[in-house]
Amino acid sequence: MRLEPNQFWTYWEWAFDQRGFLYGGILALILAVLGFLVGYIVATIKHGPAEGFLVVAKIIGQLFTADLPKMSPRRIFAMAKLSFKEALRSRVLVVVAVFVVAIMFAGWFIDPKSDNPAQLYIPTVLFLTNMLVLLMGLFLSTFSIPRDISSKIIYTMVTKPVRPTEIFLGRVFGMIAVGTLTVSIFGLLSYVFITRGLQHTHEIEVMPTDTVAGQTTTYRLHSHTFTLDEQGEGVTDVVKGHRHIVKKVGDKLVVSSQIGDLEARNPIYGKLRFTGRDGEDSEGINVGSISEYLKYVEGDTLSSAIFTFTNVPKDLFENSVTFDMTLDAFRTYKGDIVTPVGGIYFFRSLDGAVETERFGFKVKEGVIDQKTIALDLKSVDGKDINFFTDIAPEGSFELVIRCTDRGQYLGMAQADLYLRAKEKSFEWNFTKGFISIWLQMCIVICFGVMFSTFLSGPVAIVATLSVIVLGMFGWFLDDLTSGELPGGGPVEALIRLPLQSGSVSELDLGSPVVENTIRAIDKGILFSVGLLKNALPNLYDLGTTEFVTYGVNLFEGLLARHLTIAFGYFVMTSIISYFFLKTREMAG
Amino acid sequence: MSTQTPTPAPAAVSTDVIVETRNLGKIYRDFWGRKKVQALKSLDIEIRRGEIFGLLGPNGSGKSTTIKLMLGLLFPTSGRAFVFGKEATDVAKNERIGYLPEESYLYKFLNAEETLDFYGRLFDMPASVRRERAAELIQRVGLQRHRRRQLREYSKGMTRRIGLAQALINEPEFLVLDEPTTGLDPIGTKEMKDLILKLRDEGKTILLCSHQLADVQDVCDRVAILHQGELKEAGRVDALLKVQDVTQIHAKGLSEEAKSKIREIIQQSNSELLKMDNPTTTMEELFLDIVQQSEQRPGARSVGASN
Repeated sequence: MRLEPNQFWTYWEWAFDQRGFLYGGILALILAVLGFLVGYIVATIKHGPAEGFLVVAKIIGQLFTADLPKMSPRRIFAMAKLSFKEALRSRVLVVVAVFVVAIMFAGWFIDPKSDNPAQLYIPTVLFLTNMLVLLMGLFLSTFSIPRDISSKIIYTMVTKPVRPTEIFLGRVFGMIAVGTLTVSIFGLLSYVFITRGLQHTHEIEVMPTDTVAGQTTTYRLHSHTFTLDEQGEGVTDVVKGHRHIVKKVGDKLVVSSQIGDLEARNPIYGKLRFTGRDGEDSEGINVGSISEYLKYVEGDTLSSAIFTFTNVPKDLFENSVTFDMTLDAFRTYKGDIVTPVGGIYFFRSLDGAVETERFGFKVKEGVIDQKTIALDLKSVDGKDINFFTDIAPEGSFELVIRCTDRGQYLGMAQADLYLRAKEKSFEWNFTKGFISIWLQMCIVICFGVMFSTFLSGPVAIVATLSVIVLGMFGWFLDDLTSGELPGGGPVEALIRLPLQSGSVSELDLGSPVVENTIRAIDKGILFSVGLLKNALPNLYDLGTTEFVTYGVNLFEGLLARHLTIAFGYFVMTSIISYFFLKTREMAG
Repeated sequence: MSTQTPTPAPAAVSTDVIVETRNLGKIYRDFWGRKKVQALKSLDIEIRRGEIFGLLGPNGSGKSTTIKLMLGLLFPTSGRAFVFGKEATDVAKNERIGYLPEESYLYKFLNAEETLDFYGRLFDMPASVRRERAAELIQRVGLQRHRRRQLREYSKGMTRRIGLAQALINEPEFLVLDEPTTGLDPIGTKEMKDLILKLRDEGKTILLCSHQLADVQDVCDRVAILHQGELKEAGRVDALLKVQDVTQIHAKGLSEEAKSKIREIIQQSNSELLKMDNPTTTMEELFLDIVQQSEQRPGARSVGASN
């Protein structure tokens, strides 16, 4: 798992420094202006320009003077309860049975040879939950209002003092309640499936002696080795992402259930900067298109990667400082290909006055390499120092990494090294993963209900499905709308097809005017698609499966950001739905 | 639903106007905005407090369109409709309205209690009031034994009854009843008519739309007759139905001799005798009489007019 830079932002960084609120506001403003224009055009066609304006103004006015302030929680609750009952009585919970059957058979397809079975179990259940919950949200949300309209039940509803805002909110809340129930059931079943699927223990195959390490029996294609301390206790080595505690009970050695496979590492990330071969600040070395994301330091020079940690709470570290790193090696010569590229790391105070001794390491490419150092250690000049007293008195310090092999390079990004604070609860992290899925479902429900206020059920399904697909594969549209994909935009591509023109060659139609016109049209189309894409939710970014799968604590700030985005879409869809419900002839 | 003898008496209609339409018109258009049909043309009517107003007309005459415009389910193409002095599209007016659609459009997965509870909530009623009203209305429409059954199991008559109950949940001042007797058997029809008259006597204003002309005649104070979207006639039922130049005499125990004398008098006064015979009862009265006798004497064959 590799975190994107934007995932580090705290909530307030995202909201203000990165202008999350500003961009949200601009988007809302654009939509409001567009909405007003479309409304005005429709009203003008029906009533003429002057009366059309009055009609639109009246509807907007009523939103703020009557339909919002006079909303009744009891009416909203009535609608929500109705939606909930309707869904349950139409046997929507059959989806739970589908889930149970799916996870019953999922075990057959999980590869027992995997190096880390937890990383197969967790994404399986999260993926299944995600798909089933989104599909359920899609079908629930798009059919209820059209069904009420086609069966004319809406007549008995809107002839009561029910406001359009209440219809939308009631429907959305009711369906979210059904979704919440379903996600909770899925969460519980998933947790049982994962823990029971991973749970195992071993017997003792080789008893440990002073000279020989003990070994467990082989079970599920693996075994562990271990040694015991004087108290007769020990911990096995890590195999398939877990270990066991071995304890002497009477004359027997007892092996515990596995531990460490379901974790929620609590990473504390630092800011990364680089120095060049002369020790001066630089941007790090770019080794080309192999990895734009990573920056490299050159071997056997002063070129360094410096991670600066600030205000690290002391109480998160009891006896030692632990950090994980996942570095990449870029070799300019093969040399001894079996021996990994080497490097050193050391800590130093922010003012650079105190540096610890150098610790050597060999790069384990693509694998999380965990390092632990004691709080009491030696300085670079051999004096006894304490980590928190001398290096990080205020909780701020630097961790410096250099490459020691001449001509070789070590590559890393900000997310590739982090301090490991006290581990967080896996259960809470797992719950947060489900909250992310729940948020996606809420957004889908909001869009589904919104589309159903002006489209028939089947058309609303297609529209909402488009939102899901665009939301899940928005990254493709990002590439497309950047205009950097070879072959040009849609019109250019359409022309290239019959001409059998290669996508990498320049479009040559013999007329620069025609070519430029085509490019201009493409630009306009791609801009519109980009605008549409930005107005739709990026469900892919809202997914946090990787955090749970790879055992990284999902930052509360990121979750809060996702909550804010979901709330923004809720407000947007509420307002759009209001206008459609307000202007729709229910018996028309 | 309790049975009682109907006491149709003209209502003491006030001049307080509950519904007013001014030049009300509606054109239905297709997707492209082209005119499909003009369902209603320049309708001007007033419905006054405390009366039962009948809206009559053949299929496609514009009755349902008129009701939908009054309820805000449709928007007028021309003219305006006011209910309680407010635009028909104003949601606030619905606080004082009860509506029974021509089919009972209700959620089939709810039972009677849940249905009334749901609609009570829509009127923002507290739980205690909802419970009380629901129990009272279920009793009133005679569904006590079926209050826990889902509406999907109801017969058409039962569905009409629960439909009426939901229309009365808020004790409306103005009740719109679209074909209220559709699907009801003669007893149910009579009970419905009794109830409509009772509601009128309680001071409610009722708009009744029906194909059953006999029903309209039985209960309505005033009627409007629509045809092809136009208002053709409007006025008090008794005035509209009165045949001015024909005299009707009902007498009991007349001998043949007396009948001859009456014929002579008519002849002497240069008038024309149109008809003199024994009147027939209505099929409704005959049916209700037989059912009543059957309930009083189970197992015995009823003694009817055929004997």
